[in-house]
Amino acid sequence: MLADKLVAAGIPVTRVVFQDIGPVGKAIFYAAATVSIAVFCWGMWLRIRKYRRGRPAGRWPTVRQALAGRSRAGSAGGIGRPDTATIGTLASNKTIGRGDRALGIAHFFIFWGFIVAFAATVILTIDVDIVRNLSRLIVGHEDSFFHGPFFLVYTFTVDTMGFAFLLSLIYMALRRGVRRPWRLGYARAHQPEAGYSRKRLVAGDWVFLGLLLAILVTAYLLTGLRILTQGMPWFTLFTPFGRLVAEMFAAFGMSPAGAVTAHTIMWWIHASLALTFVAYIPFSKAMHMLLDMANLLATDRGTTPNLPAPVPAQGQAGYQQLSDFTWKELLDLDACTKCGRCHEVCPARTAGAPLSPRDLILDLRQWADASSGGHTLLDREQRPDRTGPLAVGAGTRIAGDVVAERTLWSCTTCMHCVEVCPVGIEHVPTIVQLRRSLVDEGTMDPTLQTALQNLATQGNSFGKSARMRARWVKGLDFQIPDARKEPVKYLWFVGDFASFDDRLQENSRALARILTAGGVDFGLLYDGERNAGNDVRRVGEEGLFEMLAEHNIETLREAQFEEIFTTDPHSLNTLRNEYPERGASYKVWHYTELLAHLLETGAIQVRPLGYKVTYHDPCYLARYNGVTEAPRRVLRALGCELVEMPRNGVNTFCCGAGGGRIWMDDSYLAERPSENRIAEAAALNVSQFIVACPKDVTMYSDAAKTTGHDGTLAVRDITLLVAEAMAHPAEPLAAQVTA
Amino acid sequence: MPVRIVVPVKAVPDLVEEIELTPDETDIDREFLKFVLNEWDAQALEEALLVKDATGAEVVVVGLHEDPDIDQALYTAIAKGADSAVKISGGEGSTRTSDRAAVFAGYLSAEPADLVLTGVQAADDLDGQLPPMLAAHLGLPHVSVVVGVQANGNAVTIRQEFAGGRSHELEVSLPAVVGVQAARQAPRYAPISRIRQAMQAGGLREVDASPGTTGPSLTVRRMYRPEAAGHAEMLTGNADEVAAKIADLLRGRGLMKG
Repeated sequence: MLADKLVAAGIPVTRVVFQDIGPVGKAIFYAAATVSIAVFCWGMWLRIRKYRRGRPAGRWPTVRQALAGRSRAGSAGGIGRPDTATIGTLASNKTIGRGDRALGIAHFFIFWGFIVAFAATVILTIDVDIVRNLSRLIVGHEDSFFHGPFFLVYTFTVDTMGFAFLLSLIYMALRRGVRRPWRLGYARAHQPEAGYSRKRLVAGDWVFLGLLLAILVTAYLLTGLRILTQGMPWFTLFTPFGRLVAEMFAAFGMSPAGAVTAHTIMWWIHASLALTFVAYIPFSKAMHMLLDMANLLATDRGTTPNLPAPVPAQGQAGYQQLSDFTWKELLDLDACTKCGRCHEVCPARTAGAPLSPRDLILDLRQWADASSGGHTLLDREQRPDRTGPLAVGAGTRIAGDVVAERTLWSCTTCMHCVEVCPVGIEHVPTIVQLRRSLVDEGTMDPTLQTALQNLATQGNSFGKSARMRARWVKGLDFQIPDARKEPVKYLWFVGDFASFDDRLQENSRALARILTAGGVDFGLLYDGERNAGNDVRRVGEEGLFEMLAEHNIETLREAQFEEIFTTDPHSLNTLRNEYPERGASYKVWHYTELLAHLLETGAIQVRPLGYKVTYHDPCYLARYNGVTEAPRRVLRALGCELVEMPRNGVNTFCCGAGGGRIWMDDSYLAERPSENRIAEAAALNVSQFIVACPKDVTMYSDAAKTTGHDGTLAVRDITLLVAEAMAHPAEPLAAQVTA
Repeated sequence: MPVRIVVPVKAVPDLVEEIELTPDETDIDREFLKFVLNEWDAQALEEALLVKDATGAEVVVVGLHEDPDIDQALYTAIAKGADSAVKISGGEGSTRTSDRAAVFAGYLSAEPADLVLTGVQAADDLDGQLPPMLAAHLGLPHVSVVVGVQANGNAVTIRQEFAGGRSHELEVSLPAVVGVQAARQAPRYAPISRIRQAMQAGGLREVDASPGTTGPSLTVRRMYRPEAAGHAEMLTGNADEVAAKIADLLRGRGLMKG
């Protein structure tokens, strides 16, 4: 009906493509477009060629699943947090809006606005270059579908989406230029001796944003002028914002005839900008439009809880050259948009250590780029002494020269960077690969070396005799079964700290008493247990990890039990995620999960404590394995009022002990992460800081002392709360039966 | 220039273990103990490797077949950079330093070294007898309590340490026997994967050595458990009071003047 009306009106409902450009102009345009697309293809090929130099990453199944819209469940299983992304993640821009809704919405319209603009160009190409030419050849006259209702839908969609695109770009420019969020600042965490300049990084951002803005603004000016030259027929109302611009031109006194020249000039400006942009994409931040989609489809956060194996080459551990990286790791480097989320949350960066995950990725990117030919025009750092990412050539150590040793050792492997990265960069596995190089050459803190040697000889980092591991049970007035000698339901994998640290042994005994009172059938491996190797692996000592794991797996095989529970979230992680492929596949629980179950089923009776407490999520429990509810269920069952810290759950802040940091010197830090965390808790006006990880007890007890909060904030393991609540007989059952 | 450096090493009980005496109380019970490389031998090996790094000398680590867990120590040495490792049999497993010196001397007579670097002492040889005995057997010059060895033509420049932080430098012509107190840097780390690679490659050379003659030696009549000597005194009070007490204690022992 609409179409009938239009035909009746006798006006061709379309717009002229290449209006007033002429055959010479057209020829120039096609030549320029060919050059532009050729440069784009060449640039993309250079990048792809670089990724092809990388090792296989084993991610094609991940990509295929993601394209099919299926994500893989988290490593922990059944925690509802997938490890991989899907095509839906891409389409919704979900990862970008996390924590900043306005930003997510703006990016969503830029993303879809660009896609619509691209699709609009493709449609025009199909009509102008294919349909019209083919129809002339085949049926003898020129046919086109670019008119009538199709044109109206087309122009309305492109015009409105384009305007949302433009508004979003303006928002982004204001955000970057006026509001200036801290995390978009490019100050380095590691200060090179001779200084550095990141002005070109800033320039790269603005050229990218500026080009897009200029293309959009010229597009609307062009549309307005074109509508003016058409004499503003009624159907141009289907191009509402273009029409608005036309009305404005008219209001300023421009005539349709006068608009013709302006239109031609604007056409060339717009076309030049667009063709420049296409050619610029592979050599700039704009490449993220393509690479980040690929990176998200291929990403797998499961590689942090279950680290990849070292390079399988002989006589080498860790990364020494570009081809040691997998293609996904090389893609990670190019995927970074410098959004600064990892930089903001990183406990090492917060503590004043020379590590920022963002800087690490950018440094490696610049180095990888330079060592494979150098393809980025603006986005690179400059240094007068050509150190760090600028150090290219034979004899350059990736771990040590490109990225400083201390920078690598500063990582607590807390996984917060991987958690917040909106484009699926996996920082932690890359850091561990680089640490493997350092371990292989024996470059490490003396205290770390001592810990590793102790682990190699006695299987614990304390340097105590392996036979003394279960000595803590001596303070109990009952016997804990030896799972190597008699069958039990649960095997308690105690871990080093809960076994050997004098300050923690009472916690272990308290847990043993609670479980016994709750009728739990559990046993120990006694002196058969060794350090599980989680942190050894993250230090980069793969051989030692394998040795410890082999010993534990053999001992586990000889023991009789159904399921495992651990005191230590770090042990839990490697037992859950890294032992199965080495031959030990068991259900592994954290003790808080067991306690929550006992409390909720009434297996242990408690009185409400009524304390006002806060709870610290261990990284390896919450972020790595998704266990955030069990400890909170325990606190609820104990009648405690839980006041959450701003950084809680999977966004928890690291205590600073992970990834082997507990064995290294931290005197160079401006503020220990644990002290930063205690300050966060101290602002809540709670009396107790509850933890669920043995290392946390020591880390935070120390931090409470050094920050002067030990008088007001008691650091306690959740076990002790349960023990306290049980120590008093429960209310008689009759008293509880109300309502 | 030393071209062949031999490092005789010893496995000693890991002191973190609870060490018990044999029923007749003439020795410690070695049956269930974990043995580790003598820490001074680890220093000697490091110093040897430093000389190797500087001059390209060959480093051969030598252990006795009867030492428990000695394979681990020898493979670790290879992983750290030693060129080869030798396990000497024929020593009857005596733990006496004089007997051990004779066995090492027997090996060194057959396969001479330009420079012998070994730990100046061990947890069970605090007198530091091995280096001088070895030198006596071989008729070579000997320096002990050494904290640095540097190759210097056909001699080595040696830094020897004395009490109170004093030290002096000596030049010793080769061949010579040196008892190392400490290497110039902390012993390097051997990654487990490299130790395992060395183990898989095998490569321990077994050598049968006829021990040299041993002189008269001592017999252990009885060993004693360590007695707790004195107890810690906890200083109490506020920081100033504790500081004053510490100052008094130091003055009382003549460690501080004024």
